[in-house]
Amino acid sequence: MGDLMEPDLISDLPQSIIESILTRLPIRDAVRTSILSSKWRYKWASITQLVFDEKCVPFCSDQDFDEKSLIEFITRALFLHEGPIHKFQLTTSYLQSCPDIDQWILFLSRNDIKELALELGEGDWFRVPASLFRCKKLTHLELFRCELDPPPSFKGFLFMKNLTLHQVSVYPDVIENLISSCPLLENLSLSYFDSLTLNINAPNLKYLFLEGEFRDINLENAPLLSSMSVAMYMTDDNFEHFEQSSSCNFDKFLGGLPRLETLTGHIYFTKYLSIGYDLGKLAITYDHLKVIELYQVSFEDMKEIYVVLRLVTSSPNLEELQISGSSNALVAMEAPDLDLWEKESHSKCALEKLKHVKMTEMSSVPHEMEFIKFLLCRSPVLERMSITPCVYVMDGRLNMLIELVRFRRACSSKIKL
Amino acid sequence: MSEGVMAVVKPEMKSYIWLQTADGSIQQVEEEVAMFCPMICREIIQTGMGSSKNYAISLPQRVNPAILGLILDYCRFHQVPGRSNKERKTYDEKFIRMDTKKLCELTSAADSLQLKPLVDLTSRALARIIEGKTPEEIRETFHLPDDLTEEEKLEPLRNITDDPRIRLLNRLYARKRKELREREKLKNVEVEEERVDERSVEDLLTFINGGDGESKGSRTNKNKKKNRRRRDQPKNSSSEANGNHNKELDALSPAFHDSGASPSKSTKLQDSTSVSFSPKLDFDDADIDDDLDPAMKEELDREVEDFARRLNSHWPDRMQEILSLGQERRLLPMSINGDGSRRYSTAALSGLEDASMQFAATEAVEKLAIFSLQQRVSIFVCFNIIQMQCFILWESMYSGMKKMLEKRRKTENSRMTTWANMLILFRDCCLLLLLLVTFQP
Repeated sequence: MGDLMEPDLISDLPQSIIESILTRLPIRDAVRTSILSSKWRYKWASITQLVFDEKCVPFCSDQDFDEKSLIEFITRALFLHEGPIHKFQLTTSYLQSCPDIDQWILFLSRNDIKELALELGEGDWFRVPASLFRCKKLTHLELFRCELDPPPSFKGFLFMKNLTLHQVSVYPDVIENLISSCPLLENLSLSYFDSLTLNINAPNLKYLFLEGEFRDINLENAPLLSSMSVAMYMTDDNFEHFEQSSSCNFDKFLGGLPRLETLTGHIYFTKYLSIGYDLGKLAITYDHLKVIELYQVSFEDMKEIYVVLRLVTSSPNLEELQISGSSNALVAMEAPDLDLWEKESHSKCALEKLKHVKMTEMSSVPHEMEFIKFLLCRSPVLERMSITPCVYVMDGRLNMLIELVRFRRACSSKIKL
Repeated sequence: MSEGVMAVVKPEMKSYIWLQTADGSIQQVEEEVAMFCPMICREIIQTGMGSSKNYAISLPQRVNPAILGLILDYCRFHQVPGRSNKERKTYDEKFIRMDTKKLCELTSAADSLQLKPLVDLTSRALARIIEGKTPEEIRETFHLPDDLTEEEKLEPLRNITDDPRIRLLNRLYARKRKELREREKLKNVEVEEERVDERSVEDLLTFINGGDGESKGSRTNKNKKKNRRRRDQPKNSSSEANGNHNKELDALSPAFHDSGASPSKSTKLQDSTSVSFSPKLDFDDADIDDDLDPAMKEELDREVEDFARRLNSHWPDRMQEILSLGQERRLLPMSINGDGSRRYSTAALSGLEDASMQFAATEAVEKLAIFSLQQRVSIFVCFNIIQMQCFILWESMYSGMKKMLEKRRKTENSRMTTWANMLILFRDCCLLLLLLVTFQP
């Protein structure tokens, strides 16, 4: 029976605390608190965050049974819930497209949903119902493996701040319209679209994450962008298309981003930027750019080197630089245009704040060496430079080491190999 | 004045804020530590209080001095800007190690002071405590009163899968709930009981072939329980409208419990997976005569044969058999019962017929339900048989004892009947187990 004189410790805490406790429990445990005592009977029913995943229902190896039990669990939980629902997240591989999901979204659209995340299983992609576009207050939307087709009357999510679309099948102009019709959009993440041509017009955009095969990206209006991470997979057709285009990708992409603070480029990013590059005068300096991370930079392509140089030299406040090379050592050994570095050595740019440099996958090709020399000369406050040779380079490492140590340094820094 | 004194005593010229807790005690705290707390910060800025002992900021009621000390320690650590995230995390983990009572008080106090990082930390700790525990453990940890009625606890579990066994359980719980309610109602209705008791006593007496009329009075109390259940069952059969399955169960139960008192079916069925039965019968002074036993034996044998047949036959046929069996069984008490029970049986029969028709209709719809239904009915049958035998066993044992005590007659007979009954019981238990094994889905 228990000690009747012991006071109840927890039931009288304010609802906001109870809610924060219950939202930190898995949904199944939260619902089970309803049998603890009479006060706890419906405490769970007013939590505003519902996160469902496969742990909601006990696992049974029968696929259909799992699916049905999960559907029933979610339906019942929604039915018993009262009050607004601000967050709904469903991550499961049991469900693919099924009509119950449409009903849940309809229910949520009537309950002031603000954050919605749907990740369903591989299989038939789920077709987003029209009721999703009626969720006026939506601020976060994450969709995985869906088909998106907004109705013509859709005017945009006025409060949308975070948009994540991963493997979503849409018409290209739909995405553009979607982005431009969300005026408060701050965080955009697009992954695995096929051959997308995109004009991004988002005046409040701060974080951009792109991954996939993009044909053409044009950040025409994103002045506040502060962090960008791009991974461009290029197929051969894309590349051909690029060869023919005459506009400078660098300007198109990075031209209008004065507030950029972090730039991360994966895979073929520098290659993409190098297309159409002309050696013209720089238009803009990136005063806020502090961190640059570039992967798969090929130091055998002059254009890419120019791109990297330009980035580095137009960021006077750069603090951290990380470059990962991908040169084909044999090809790059015969390096033309080494006099480029001579020219550069006369320029007066100094990387006054550069503290950490990390070069990985170095194949000790001449241009890489020159680049490292360049950096060492120009960085008075450099604290750490770590150079990791590429694993394929067996011989020549010792030579590289000796050369590196001989470079003139602008400061007393450590070189870590 | 006191402030001046204080300034002299403390050489480092730090400024202090005075805080007063609800119980009246006043503490002083370094200013930057206190300012970490938004509520205190606001108070200082808006009202200018806290600068001296007389004008101490009064804290909300939920903050007592010990907890205030803890909170100030927290603030003192975290307001130093130079700490790394790792350091802060380590400190937090150590800080949060306290007993549950203190943790709850700390949460409450931090919330009233609007110290959000601490509220998050404590909420996380409480959630970690609750996660994975059984309800009893949670109740014990937080001293929650276990004040949900049995009814409410037995309510169908909302978030359970569609396991047919669970569905069965839910229906049984629903019936038990009803019974509880009936019991509550009938506790108040004393007058009616008397009349009905008469009949049931007759019934009993004739059934066990005993003529002990001496303790009718005392018997009524005991019979009340049994009688209530008898009344409940047919009531349930007529009133339950959720699903043909329920109806079927209810309809069948009167068919099988006429052998005497039967405790609530739901208790029996609750233990469907474990064969345990609790005969809640305490009949006294029931003279059981040996003559009855052969007749009983015959009937039992018949039932068991039917039962075995049922194990092998197809469901619709079985349905017919049950119907016929029900009608056969009706014959025995029909002759004994008064008018009252007649009406029960007709209700039961009609229920059965309805059930069979409805059942045929739904057979095509839900295979899984049929399967579990079969299982259920078979278990029902078994349990009834076993129940009956328990009763008889008990009767024989009791009567044997009584005879031994009072008349000192030969007790071998009664002992032998006891043993015979036990054997029959054992046989049926084995049959039941066999049934369960064969019917495992």
